[in-house]
Amino acid sequence: MNIQDYISSGIVESYVLGLASPEERVEFESLCVQYPELVAARTNFELSLEKQLLRDAPAAPRDLKQTVMNLVNDQSSINQTKIITMQTSNANRGSSSLRWVAAASVILFLGFGFLAYKYYSQVENLKKENSTMAAEKESNDSTFNQLAIENKLMKEVMDNPNVAAVNMVPTTPGNPSASIYWDSTNSNVFMVVKNMPKLPSDKQYQLWALIDGKPKDLGLFDVGDKKVILKMNNTQKADAFAITIENRGNTGGPNLQQLQNMGKAKL
Amino acid sequence: MNPSTKYSEQELVTMLQARNDQSFGYLYDNYSGALFGIIKGIIPDEEVVRDVLQEVFVNIWKKIELYDAAKGRLFTWMMNVARNAAIDKLRSRSYQDSLKNRAIPENVDLNMPGAIVSQQGDDVGLKKVLTRLKEEHRILIDLSYFQGYTHEEIAKALNIPLGTVKTRIRSALMQLRNMIQ
Repeated sequence: MNIQDYISSGIVESYVLGLASPEERVEFESLCVQYPELVAARTNFELSLEKQLLRDAPAAPRDLKQTVMNLVNDQSSINQTKIITMQTSNANRGSSSLRWVAAASVILFLGFGFLAYKYYSQVENLKKENSTMAAEKESNDSTFNQLAIENKLMKEVMDNPNVAAVNMVPTTPGNPSASIYWDSTNSNVFMVVKNMPKLPSDKQYQLWALIDGKPKDLGLFDVGDKKVILKMNNTQKADAFAITIENRGNTGGPNLQQLQNMGKAKL
Repeated sequence: MNPSTKYSEQELVTMLQARNDQSFGYLYDNYSGALFGIIKGIIPDEEVVRDVLQEVFVNIWKKIELYDAAKGRLFTWMMNVARNAAIDKLRSRSYQDSLKNRAIPENVDLNMPGAIVSQQGDDVGLKKVLTRLKEEHRILIDLSYFQGYTHEEIAKALNIPLGTVKTRIRSALMQLRNMIQ
């Protein structure tokens, strides 16, 4: 950069009079560090300006001096320390009312923040509860539908004049009992479970039909699921029904030591 | 304080920064007139000029730590504090409202440059120097220095290219310098 061209570009006057843009100011100040002749040109203009303006100055109001001195004395007696400089950034407007307003607005802000947080978490909780309830409702709905279906089935079974009801009699007192509904016209077998205890996970109940002294598998089943009425395997013939406890997935014959109950078909 | 005492600028700054209120009295005695003139060049209303001058002196007292001798002389700094305060006042809502109440047009029509330059006969300081500039230069200094418009705002208002505004202002400033040297 040719510093003489820069000096005579009008930037010096522009800077001193406060007309330079922020970018120009930054550039000017950094060049002042490098070029003493720039500083000299600046000081030269400053001095000319100062001389001109001081010589040409109108008289300021005389009474104002005392007012200003009083204001300044108040300032310095209240704030002897550096606090004065802290206030300058507020350019004379750091009145206490303003500070109260600022403090109040901070408190209000925090208050609103807290409330907002509180409501937000409440809403979140409600959302969670809502989805839990929706899931419960769904599961209740499906249970209800299931029950409705079973109820319908049970009613059909019960109302069917061809269906024979067989009460299963416990082989020893305290053994579980059940009722078998057998429709001999279409071979359908339904079972209604009554107070049958849940078995260990490796065991299952098994229903048998006894035909001419021989057992016929009518199906393995678990209790404890929601089904009240179970559709078992069909059989055309049956002299009696029996329920045994077998290993899970039993494919062999009945374990008669574990015979729980029996009922005679009345046909 | 002996009224004839003369302080160097450095001495004065050191005393002011030490919160010496005698030095502040000295400052008022020696510089209030020039600062009053600067504010007066910007705000025509004498009552408002008083208020601004008072505010400026209190601010100088409060902000004296911010003065950086590496960036210029104390007078230059005070002059800019005064100019900025006056322009802030000029632009303030309260001042604009008070103008309205007096039925003086709120905004000077920038498209009628002849109307904007002060017609007052008692111009002082820079404004007095300004009267010796060519009209096209005078307008630009008036708008930028005395009314605080940016170069961009002036270019837009006068419908002349930004580069031209900048060149003319620089040229006007050079003339100004030659006049006061």
